[in-house]
Order: sequence, then structure tokens, then C-alpha cells
Amino acid sequence: MTTPELTVPLLRIQTRSGERYDSAIDLERVRAAHRPLHTARTEVTADGNTAAAIATLQMWRAVIYPGFPITPSTKWIETVAAHVAAQPDGIKRVKLLEAEHAVADYMAGAAAACRDLVFPTATSSVGLDHMTETTRSLGASGLGNVMIIDVYRATANYPLCIEGDPSDTLAHRDDGFIQIAARGKQQIYDTVLQAPCLGMHPDVMTPTMPGYYGIKDSHRNARLTVEADSAIHAFQDRWIRPCPLPGLINGDTAFGNCVTSRFFQGFKLEQKRRMEKVFEVLPAIGGDFERTFGRPGLAFFDAAGWPESGGVDLAVVSMLTPFPSAAVREKLRRARAVLVVNQAHHMGRGHLTLDVADALGNLPSAPRVLSAFAGLGGADVSESTWEAMLDVGRRALAGEDVADGRIYHEGAAL
Amino acid sequence: MSSYKETATRESCFQPGSTLCPGCMESVAFQNIGRVTDNGVKTIFTIGTSCGEVSTLAFPDVVAWGRGNAPPEAFEKSFSIIHNVFESAPTLAESIRDVADVLTSCGALQRPVQVLSFSGDGGAIAIGLRPLLHTIHRRTRITITVLVNEFFANTGFQYSPAATPFSDTSTTPAVGPTPGNLNMPLDYVHLAIAAGADLVAQISPAHGKLFMKTVEKSLECQGTAVLFVPAPCISGWKYDDGRTVELALLGARCGIFPTFIWERGQGGAVKDCPLEASERPRIEEFLAPQRRFAHLVETRKDTGEVVARPGREQTLEKLRAWTESNVERLYALAKLK
Ligand SMILES: Cc1ncc(C[n+]2csc(CCOP(=O)(O)OP(=O)(O)O)c2C)c(N)n1
Ligand code: SF4
Repeated sequence: MTTPELTVPLLRIQTRSGERYDSAIDLERVRAAHRPLHTARTEVTADGNTAAAIATLQMWRAVIYPGFPITPSTKWIETVAAHVAAQPDGIKRVKLLEAEHAVADYMAGAAAACRDLVFPTATSSVGLDHMTETTRSLGASGLGNVMIIDVYRATANYPLCIEGDPSDTLAHRDDGFIQIAARGKQQIYDTVLQAPCLGMHPDVMTPTMPGYYGIKDSHRNARLTVEADSAIHAFQDRWIRPCPLPGLINGDTAFGNCVTSRFFQGFKLEQKRRMEKVFEVLPAIGGDFERTFGRPGLAFFDAAGWPESGGVDLAVVSMLTPFPSAAVREKLRRARAVLVVNQAHHMGRGHLTLDVADALGNLPSAPRVLSAFAGLGGADVSESTWEAMLDVGRRALAGEDVADGRIYHEGAAL
Repeated sequence: MSSYKETATRESCFQPGSTLCPGCMESVAFQNIGRVTDNGVKTIFTIGTSCGEVSTLAFPDVVAWGRGNAPPEAFEKSFSIIHNVFESAPTLAESIRDVADVLTSCGALQRPVQVLSFSGDGGAIAIGLRPLLHTIHRRTRITITVLVNEFFANTGFQYSPAATPFSDTSTTPAVGPTPGNLNMPLDYVHLAIAAGADLVAQISPAHGKLFMKTVEKSLECQGTAVLFVPAPCISGWKYDDGRTVELALLGARCGIFPTFIWERGQGGAVKDCPLEASERPRIEEFLAPQRRFAHLVETRKDTGEVVARPGREQTLEKLRAWTESNVERLYALAKLK
């Protein structure tokens, strides 16, 4: 084979991970090949999967969409496929693999091949479990350009329940992904747009897993404000800069080496440090998003409050991993008791309860932390269920001995 | 095609320092494939967890890859490698190929890239049969290399679906009356053809020139090329120093793993392994030097002849019958177009 006549000279840069050949990949050509989906801010009606699909389609850095169907995330890949099929001369491609495991492997290779492109997919429940062997590699890889959109669905298959609780995402807390929960179509769209800015930030370089509730959010329609592609590009370009480390194509490098325990410590330390940087970078991205688009950006909590005034308040944690312990401590430090409502099965007091209790543990007079489970399998949490849970909180404050960690459904403690 | 002499003097991307066993055929394969890929095209390897990976990619001491003497500014000599999980090498290679193709399609990448995947037989045809066949099925323009040592060597020589019948493995031990592995090997050559590969070969570096030419051809293939490389394993096959190439040749010639090269649309050929059994070396010659078959054959002290151990006569005949069918099968496959 001979090398064709080249128009771009190469600039070689030495990095701690090997040589990087700048301009071996001319990203401007990728940007130029993007066909805008929207040229102006537009109002549409969309379900959650469509909102997530539109967001990923609007990114010029997303050119390959690997996927495998599973309820309730399937419409993401279908929507992307319909768009790509309608533009056969565009550069975007859908990649249908034989299983989620292969999707995750594919994303590892693709994201390592070019660290400046974004590789999104969507999955749910056992689909995410099927990826696990590689999600753990990805979590430690430094490949912040990988995004797995997790449409929450109960895990596992005995019994099989296709409705949405976040037990799938919570089973993957330690895979190494940044996990952000979104509620409502607008927040889904906005979160997907911001996630690569966070993951690909040079201090963070950690893959992202935005998520939302299956069925309730994935399948129900609502109004959605869609931004112009050009506005999205301008926002993302402020945050996403060329990766400082070499990829497989523009580098002379190795990924996925073996190490002895002596060096393993260093790799894990770096992984943790990168994850901790999320606490600094996320609010900055969220703030910029709000200034740019006039809607709340990424934050540790979802804006929420208790409908009635009185001694009760509600805080919804949207940042699942890394868990924003300091922010939780600050928010709850004056509470007398905290009732943590867990929506996912846990053999103990609940994933969230443990994190909240841990966050409050060091306070000089820590509030009492109570645990409840509600909305399992995506069940509605009715007003009577809220009342029943609150009753436990009130009785605990009155000094009564109350049962902790019960499952609540339709107003009853089970 | 380059001349053999020219190819043989190129700089391999496989560099000194690996901890593969001395006498391991995999290092010979890496060395030679590494030379063929020094062809003016940037090279990317993917590799599954295996002997070939753990022995060459240990950070920071043994990274036995890269074109060491090439000037760093020479992009076409630059070399990248990625290891992910045990079964993932073909999928990784496919994704890299796709990214390079998309970038090329919009003019963002102007220099060519060649992508090769490496797996052991465990990674490719046991745990990884599904990704292997699907990557082939999607007609990916890559070279898939499977280093067939007939074991999960890295974890201590457990059975793999490529194991020769009646071989002793750590999970199909030849103990008491049980004569080792009772399973017939998976017909991976046929599977690769059926899945849609454009070039399928079974060839070891013991057939030096042909091996190099086949690798070179695989890099020019417009679809998926699959190279199954029989790889005598000195530690698991348990033979004496210096016999690796001899055993690779004997195994091929006696019909245990005949050299076979096939191209879609043209058909193929079995090389150096006659269809007529009497014209091939006896399988006993291949079996005798390897202690994984010590329960099956012995060498008579008086005549030097290799014969079945008492009580193993029928087992040896079964292995001979399987070998016969193996050769016939490959001759039949060669006729496929
Ligand atoms: C999912 C999974 N299961 C098991 C293993 C353990 N394991 C690592 S390498 C290996 C065997 C590799 O066999 P093969 O692909 O034939 O390569 P070889 O070691 O023979 O070179 C096994 C079983 C693993 N790494 N991952
Ligand atoms: S165990 Fe076998 S395959 Fe592995 S390095 Fe040693 S000789 Fe090679």
C-alpha cells in the first residue's frame, strides 16, 4: 500500500502515554460533515428516548451509534437509525451488534481509536448487566468519550419486570462511570448534551452514564425545547478540547496493560482522583449551560421542594456517582431526621440510605437517618404511600421505636 | 507482493523483552506478522487476554511492542495496541476499522490504517465464538488471527474446543482408564467460511514463506481474513527444547492441523498434507514427543517404533480415524467457492 498525497502536515507530541500525532485526524472535517437537525430553537413533542436520541444526533462528535435493543431503551436506537437511514450520504452510522457485551467492547475500541469523538449507546437492566465485564474496563480506561444512556429498569429477570426502577444503574455504582439521574424529557435532553463535556474534561476523563426512568419517562410524551445544533456545538466546544492523550489512530500507544499490585495502586488512585474532579467541574458546566440556554444545567440535586409549607422538605439527588456527600451534608445538616426513599431493591437499608448516612456521619449532631423503599419496579408512589412513609418519620421524631427499611406500596408498609 | 527477503528484513513491531516461554510458537508468529505489517501503513493490533497478552503488555516492565528503531515522526511506522477482555479482540478491531473508515470518508483521516486482532483459541472459539462469528459476518475489513495452542494456556492448560482428541489437559486429565479429552474439536475453519470470511487459512510460521505471503494477502483482503495459526506450546504440549517448528510441521503434515488456504470465489487448497494417508507421516510421530499424549503412545526400546500403550490401541485408532476425517473435511472445504 502507498500513502496518498497528504495535505495536512503532522505535528508530533510526546505524552506520558506515548506519541500523539496532532492533525493526523482533522476534526474540522468531521464537524463540517455534520448535517444539522435543527437550525433554530424549536418546540417538539417527544418521549424520553427520543429526547436522548435527538441530543446525541445533534452532536457533531457522535458519528457511530452502536446499539442493541432492550425494553425500555429500544426507541433510542430506532430513532437514531431512522435519522441515519434518511441521510444515506451523511457520515453518521448505526452499528448493530450481536449483544450488549459486544456493544461495550465496540465502544472501548472505538473510543480508544479516536478520543475526540463521542460514542453513545442506550441500554437497560440486563442489557447493562450484559455489558458489565467491559463497563468495568471502560470505567477505569480514561475514555470519557463513552456514554451509556441507562433507561432504568428493574434488574434482574426473576421476576422479569420491564418498568423502571434504578436498580440497574445502582448495581453498577462501582463500574467507574459518572452516573447522573434525569427526570422529565427536558432534563433528559439537557443532561445528555452536557454529559460528554463532563466526561471528556481533561481533569475528569471518565465515561458517563446518564439515566432516566423506564416507561414513565422513556415512553411518555411531553413538550421539549430543542436547541439549534450550532448552539449546542458552541457550548460543547467550550468544554470539549482535543484529548491530551494519544488514541490508537493518532498515537503510538498501548491500552489495557497488565500490572502487578505495586502499580495497580497508582492506576486506581488516578481513577479516583479523576472521579473526584467531577465535584469541581460539574457545577461549572451546569452553570454555563444555564447561562447559555436559560434552563438549569447539571447539578447535584434536582430542584425540588415539598408542596406544603411546614417542617418537611424534599431533596432529590441527581448525582449518583460520585455521590455528592459534601453537598448532601450541607443540605441536611440542620434536619432533625432524614427519611431516605430508595427505589431499588437492596439487601440492606438501601443504596441511597448508606450514602446519605455516610455523608451525615461526621456531623457533631447528626440527624437520624431512616430508610424506606417505595416505587420498586417502577410502581407509582402514591400520596397515601408518601403519607405512610412520613408517618414513620414523625413517629421516629416523637421518640417511638419504628420499623426501618420497610417496603411501602399503595399506602401500606409491607 | 513483497519478496520474502525484503519482508524478512523489515522491522517487526514485536520487540525484545516478552516473557513468552522460550520456544513458544506465538513469539515466532508475532515476530513474522510484525514484519509483514511494516509495510508503510500505520498498524493497530487488538489482543484478548491470553499468553500473548500477559507476556507482552505488562506495564511498565514488558511492553514488547512498537517499532523500536523507527524515527518517532514516522507516523506510518507508529504502532498502537489495545487489550480489553478475553473474548473481545475481533470486536475491538472492528470498531477501530469503522472509526478509521468514517474518518477517512469525510477526509479527516488521510493516512491508511491496518487493523489486526489476536486471540487464543479459547478467546476466539470458546468464550468468544459469538463475537468472532459476528465480526466475520459483518464483513469487517480486518485480519483476525487466532493462535491455536489447543488450551487455555494462560490459566494452566485447561481444555479448549480446539484440543486434539485424547490429549491430556488439566480439565480433561488422562487419569486411570480415561484417555484425556473425549470431545471432537470444533470445526472452526468451516465456521469462519460459513460466517462470511473472504480469506480463511490454517497455517503456522513453520511454513515460513507461505505464512508471510498469507499474512500479506490477508492485509490486502477487502473483507475479513481469518488466520488460524497452529501454535505448538512447549509448556503445555510438554516437549523438549528445539522441537517447536518440527512439531508444527509434523502436525500439519500428518493431518492433525493441515495447512489450508482458502479464498472466497476462488476456493482453496490443502498444502503439504496429501489426501492419501499412506503418503503422510504417521500420527504417532507427532504424538510421541509430547507428554500430553504420553498416556496414549510409547516408544519401544528395542525397535524405536512408536506404538499404542497397552489398552490404548482402540483410542489410538479412533484418533487416526478422526485425523483421516479431518484431512478429508479440509479437502472438501477447499472445493467450496
Ligand atoms: C470472562 C473471563 N473468564 C475467564 C478468564 C480467565 N482467563 C484468562 S486467559 C484465559 C485463557 C485464555 O485462553 P486462550 O484464549 O486460548 O489463550 P492462551 O492463554 O492459550 O494463550 C482464561 C480462561 C477471563 N480472563 N475472563
Ligand atoms: S504456555 Fe505455551 S502458549 Fe503460553 S507462552 Fe508458554 S509456550 Fe507459549
